[in-house]
Amino acid sequence: MAVGVRHFVKLKLRITANGLRGQTWRVALFVLGAVLAAGAAVGGYALFSLPGLLGEQRAAEVALPLAGGLIVLGWLFLPLVFFGVDESLDPARFALLPLPRRTLIRGLFVASLAGVPAVATFAGTLGMVDSAARLGGPLAALAQFVGVVTGLLLCAAISRSLTSAFATALRSRRARDLATVLLACVAALLGPLQLAALAGAENADWAGIARVADVIAWTPFGAPYSLGPDVAAGRLWAVPVKVVLILATIGLLLWWWSRTLERAMLGAVGRSGPRERAASARRPVAQLVPAWLPRTRFGALTAREMRYWWRETRRRASLITFSVVGVFLPVFIGVSSGSAGAPTGMLIFVGALAAVSLANQFGFEGSAYAANVVAGVPGRLELTSRVAGFSVYVVPALLVISVVVGLAVGRPESIPALFGVLAAAYGVGLALALPVSIRMAYALPDTANPFALSSGGGMAKGLLTFAALFGAALLTVPVQLVAFLAHDVWLWAGLPLGVLYGGGALLLGLRLAGPMLDRRMPELLATVTARQ
Amino acid sequence: MTVPQQRSSPDPALALRGLVKRFDTKLAVAGVDLDVPAGSFFGLLGPNGAGKTTTLSMAVGLLRPDAGQARLLGHDVWADPAAAKARIGVLPDGARLFDRLTGTELLAYHGLLRGMDAGVVDQRAAELMDVLALGADNRTLVVDYSAGMKKKIGLACAMLHAPRLLVLDEPFEAVDPVSAALIRDILQRYVAGGGTVVFSSHVMAVVERLCSHVAILADGTIRLRGTLAEVRGERSLEDVFVEVVGGRTATGSELAWL
Repeated sequence: MAVGVRHFVKLKLRITANGLRGQTWRVALFVLGAVLAAGAAVGGYALFSLPGLLGEQRAAEVALPLAGGLIVLGWLFLPLVFFGVDESLDPARFALLPLPRRTLIRGLFVASLAGVPAVATFAGTLGMVDSAARLGGPLAALAQFVGVVTGLLLCAAISRSLTSAFATALRSRRARDLATVLLACVAALLGPLQLAALAGAENADWAGIARVADVIAWTPFGAPYSLGPDVAAGRLWAVPVKVVLILATIGLLLWWWSRTLERAMLGAVGRSGPRERAASARRPVAQLVPAWLPRTRFGALTAREMRYWWRETRRRASLITFSVVGVFLPVFIGVSSGSAGAPTGMLIFVGALAAVSLANQFGFEGSAYAANVVAGVPGRLELTSRVAGFSVYVVPALLVISVVVGLAVGRPESIPALFGVLAAAYGVGLALALPVSIRMAYALPDTANPFALSSGGGMAKGLLTFAALFGAALLTVPVQLVAFLAHDVWLWAGLPLGVLYGGGALLLGLRLAGPMLDRRMPELLATVTARQ
Repeated sequence: MTVPQQRSSPDPALALRGLVKRFDTKLAVAGVDLDVPAGSFFGLLGPNGAGKTTTLSMAVGLLRPDAGQARLLGHDVWADPAAAKARIGVLPDGARLFDRLTGTELLAYHGLLRGMDAGVVDQRAAELMDVLALGADNRTLVVDYSAGMKKKIGLACAMLHAPRLLVLDEPFEAVDPVSAALIRDILQRYVAGGGTVVFSSHVMAVVERLCSHVAILADGTIRLRGTLAEVRGERSLEDVFVEVVGGRTATGSELAWL
């Protein structure tokens, strides 16, 4: 019997179900995620069927491609920043099976659609079919349905191929720095686009936005979602052209994916070659612990954390992603919102986002944590050193962010205060992330893709991230209030107050989480050890 | 052979009392009692899935037992973990090492983690890298080591702080004969110097050659224990093992297509 697509789908569903078996909080998270996704789908459906209900042909022509483009962008960036990709079907596991590459790619691709996000996206965008039907009758509805289906395929293809390519780039040593630059460039390219769009939205009128939408409707991002309005407007000729465009894009993406996959599959067997380093004449302790750290337990733990944030692909990926998001996001918001002043809310988000990288810190190293358990490292020391090791990278990044943002909004005098806000958010975020990292740790799959999560893990990661961000936003309300109300005072008081606030929160968090870790070390080790 | 005959020494190096561990519905370890005399070379035998790793993990404080006690050199590992853990060295199963460090860095890490003086760590780490033929100036990450090298660096990490008890999970698994001979030699010297070694294995030849005491574990319970001579009697250890475990020794007509 030939291996078909349905075998992959069945395997994926079976793995998802097995992953949930006997893990109560995972089931709870899965259900919560599914409920949220269902809510988003219903909301999306209502929103997208609105132009049809109102009978606004032009509104549909503008809104559908724009919204569709955002959805595709979301599929591209959300996995990188928040959710990771569900790689419960690890491509490397198929390396030894006698499967033609076409079968494998098709199977993995369709299986990647058998998940909550894909179903929710599909259900939500069906609202567009509703709109198209009301505006242009059955033919428009049919065209829009084709658009919605191909759009979903496009979303999945884009997210799969990009994370896979990025993962491959990160893995090979030579391309490592290249990947950093590449990602920065992608983000930088998005910048002007977004600025243009936002500037258009602010300055120009409705016609300006409409023009942008008309352009987007002819890019692969918006094309799938503009088929219905095209038919309704009588531009039947546009439909086949756009369908060809979309299919060609999907085909190209899948081809690219299959190329990187093949490399990943080979890599899983052969690895990227041993990393030979120049022989060092320094003494063993000096090789591990930099001169400015004490040669103690704390020094050793911190030094190891620092090495790990750079040498381990998963951690490096999250570090790089954070740096890029952290620099560009506040700048865009700051510049595009014009003279409204420093983007405090966005800085809170960025500071907390940095801390959230530690929300599954024990999951990164998995069973290797056994060494610390056997050595009986006290919980407080363990957590302090982890925060210190991570902060070696993050605090300079936060400094750079505050300088860049200060200059970008044209208020260099506010730089210290901006850093104060970042520090407060980072400290509060850490205080929240530390207990979370102990109580809600989860094992990461042992694959080559740093963005890979086992089934259900994506839901956990995304929800925990959002919960921590929300919590940090809530707990920094005092800082935000002071910054907003006492603006002149904040300019000089922001730095000390923010640092004190963040530092105080961090100390509290450590005090709370340290004993928690002392009590739960073996349990934590068991949860982060990947099940065979 | 110098087999210590005192089976009931006042303070055994490792004492397990009624250890029980249940995973979901499966009873992995069903009440293990075990005394490892100080100064012995102790082999814990058992087929795959017998509960060896689970038992040893509970003994060294890596896995919380559902019931029972584990005492290491007189200290209860769950009541007084700091005192118990400070006196032992552990080689955990699989690749449980911080493998994104180089071998030298990993040794320095373990040394400082054990609260050792940096100078002593430097000296011992360099010596261990040299004796274990890992290359004193080797800057390869442990993740890129071969399986045998990983075992050796794991063993070095366990021995660095000169503990009085070594608990090793499958130290000879996936190790080539040359490395195995080296590890055997080091462990024998360690025991001759007064240390105690507990290790799990299912390689009978190694166990017969090294151990003064053995215990056979199957389906989560100790089936047989004693000095090597007591357990083995007149037969080979392998015969005893297969008989105790109750394995299938010959296939009939099933695999005719092979």
